[in-house]
Amino acid sequence: MKGARLSGLRRFWDEYRQVKSGLIGIGLLVVFILIVLLEPVALPYREANERWRDINYWQDSPRLALPVWVNWFTSKDYPRSTVTSEPKREEVATGTLRVITMEVPYEFTSGHPPSDMYYKLYLTGRASIAFEFIRPDGEKVELRRSTAVDGAQILRLSAIETLQERAYAMGARYEDPNVAKSRNPRMIDTMAVLFGQATKGIFTKPAILDGTYRMRIQVALVNEQSQLNKAEFVVLGGVSGILGTDGDRRDLWCGFLGGTKWALLIGLLTSLISVVVGVVYGVAAGYFGGWIDALMNRIFEVVLSIPLLPILIVMSAVFNPSIWIIIAMMCIFFWVGPVKTVRSMALQIKEHSYIEAAKALGASHRRILFRHMVPQLIPYSFASMALAVPGAILFEASISLIGLGDPTIVSWGQVLRDAFSSGAVLQGIWWWIIPPGVAIALMGMTFAFIGFAMDTILNPKLKTR
Amino acid sequence: MYWKYFVRRILYAVMILAVTVFVFSALFSTVAEQVLRAQIIEQVNAEALTLARQRTSLDPNAAQVFREFRTQQLIRRHSLDQPMTVRIVKRTLDALTLQLGNSTQIKSAAGETDVMTIIAERIPRTLLLFGVVAAIDIVAGIWLGMRKARQAGKLMDRSTDIVTMIVFGLPTWWLGMLLIMVFAFAIPIFPSGAMHMSPPPESSLGYFLDLMYHLVLPVFTLVILGFWGRAYITRNIVLSTLQEDFIMSARARGLSERRIVFGHTLRAAAPPIVTMSLLALLGSVGGALIFEGIFSWPGLGNLYWVAVQQNDIPVLMGNLTVTTALYIGGLAFLDLIYGFLDPRVKVGGKA
Repeated sequence: MKGARLSGLRRFWDEYRQVKSGLIGIGLLVVFILIVLLEPVALPYREANERWRDINYWQDSPRLALPVWVNWFTSKDYPRSTVTSEPKREEVATGTLRVITMEVPYEFTSGHPPSDMYYKLYLTGRASIAFEFIRPDGEKVELRRSTAVDGAQILRLSAIETLQERAYAMGARYEDPNVAKSRNPRMIDTMAVLFGQATKGIFTKPAILDGTYRMRIQVALVNEQSQLNKAEFVVLGGVSGILGTDGDRRDLWCGFLGGTKWALLIGLLTSLISVVVGVVYGVAAGYFGGWIDALMNRIFEVVLSIPLLPILIVMSAVFNPSIWIIIAMMCIFFWVGPVKTVRSMALQIKEHSYIEAAKALGASHRRILFRHMVPQLIPYSFASMALAVPGAILFEASISLIGLGDPTIVSWGQVLRDAFSSGAVLQGIWWWIIPPGVAIALMGMTFAFIGFAMDTILNPKLKTR
Repeated sequence: MYWKYFVRRILYAVMILAVTVFVFSALFSTVAEQVLRAQIIEQVNAEALTLARQRTSLDPNAAQVFREFRTQQLIRRHSLDQPMTVRIVKRTLDALTLQLGNSTQIKSAAGETDVMTIIAERIPRTLLLFGVVAAIDIVAGIWLGMRKARQAGKLMDRSTDIVTMIVFGLPTWWLGMLLIMVFAFAIPIFPSGAMHMSPPPESSLGYFLDLMYHLVLPVFTLVILGFWGRAYITRNIVLSTLQEDFIMSARARGLSERRIVFGHTLRAAAPPIVTMSLLALLGSVGGALIFEGIFSWPGLGNLYWVAVQQNDIPVLMGNLTVTTALYIGGLAFLDLIYGFLDPRVKVGGKA
């Protein structure tokens, strides 16, 4: 019996190998599984999965940066992010007052300004800070600020956040006075002005000024308790990572990796549970017949006539479920998929003489169902399992899109939700929208290829006329 | 004897709807009652306030008595003092007679809070969108499916099969986002959403054209993804029909291939094709609900988005009841068409 079943599977595989799209499907599945297995190595941010919604975790990465490979296709390059940790300090002490000066040169040759630059200071105690942005043409943009810090604090002096009005003042000296007057100082593109050529048009059409920029910072430590424990100078580029970053500075490649794992899990788990339940249900209904069949059919039809997504949306909205509950909810409605076909197949199998023989030998119902009938439906089960996977992934994505996903995981649907709700569609932020959708579609395609390939083998009628 | 089948099928649909709505009522019993109680308290507070305004010399005790009395009265009216099972049955009956209660946030165009009014004004919009889609989808799908069946196994059939598989797991709403990005942002030739520009054009022709203009992008998105599946179903049904004996005999009689395919095969295959297509479309309504939100098409699907955002539980549940009713009604309607087209169905009763 076992040998016969194995040779059946063997034959199945021999036929399966003939279907090219089926092999592509298997290949893609292997790629996805490899991605999941290699995730720990491929993840550029270690804690990305756990701290996906923690804005503190992402604040050192650029906002809405393009993918790195965009530079291969543009003549005007986007700068990359750079970090200078512990720039050289020059310390001058007068009494208790100590002034630390740091200066970092930044060679700038890109076609676009960086998206931000800042000093990150790990301070204790009181300090007063002066920040100076020195351009290759000698222009200086300064900022003075004193700060009172009690205890330890991380201070971030960012050009975008602090230099906007100063940048406006600088630009206004070169720009046509009428144009300058018509601009709101709070609405100018700070980085474009800071890195723009000091000519007319610095507000309207800033041309890039190449050269060495210098960022000088002076930290005056007021008393002995004050300390500058650590300093970093960061330039946030216009490109970052394989897939760029989103509006909350999150690395989208991490989102893709995290989503792969969950999509596979959601799809496979849901389809496995619901197909097993559905097959057993269908076989039992067909085998027992009579009033049991009739009753099981009624239950089946009630579940079948509930529109799936609306009920999932309402249940999610009311119960705020975790991903496991979402999977369970999907299983409650997904199991009806194979029932009808399985039942009619079971009706045929039941009539075979070996079932009669098994009955005559006194085999229990359970033995007949699970040893003689269910195994015959295994190929069909695999096909319907494969075809149920994309549906499950799609439903989770849809629920997430509407804002009801599990907030403790990262899924492609949630990435798309963030993109949609922050208006990425109408701002044309394609790198935020295309990859997650392509991933969902590719995953769906993978299982569709596998499922349809099995389907063709199981229904040879459909191959040719 | 068609009417007998007709009555039986309708009764069956009503029964299934009743069971489903009962399950919903039981499932969401707790949250529905919480909302109802909150609404009662709000209503009583508002009434007490107007009362206090009308009669400035109202005794504070009397106000308290009024509140309690009124609260009890409303609780009794909504049967909240009854045992659990009675409450669930009552809510089921209310839902079945489309008394869906009042919304907490959302209002209809005229400012009413009655959930059924809010939903009713959205139903035609959803039907319009999906009616147009269904019509185009089925025509295009059958056309392609016939071509595929005639060239089964050839390059054209295989390549379109691959497209069918590629779009199998593709979310319609994602394609919608993509097309909005292309045709409303990059090349702004279509509106990014909504049903009309605001304010809508005054003349009825302008109104109609504006509506069509807003329909183009969502309809295109749904059709471009949908009709492959329809073609696949058609192909398979037609192929199975082509293997029937009567086709063999038609071939033997020397009829032209064209006549065999369009005359004999299509005629026999039409009922299952139409019903399978409509069934698949009905099944895709769920996904299309999400889709409405992307295009801000103000139908039932968009109402789910709005209700989720504003956490309006009565609207959410009312919408679920109505959607389910429409869905079950759609299934019954399909069976009725099928029974009409294929008399074998109603004789046996069971497939």
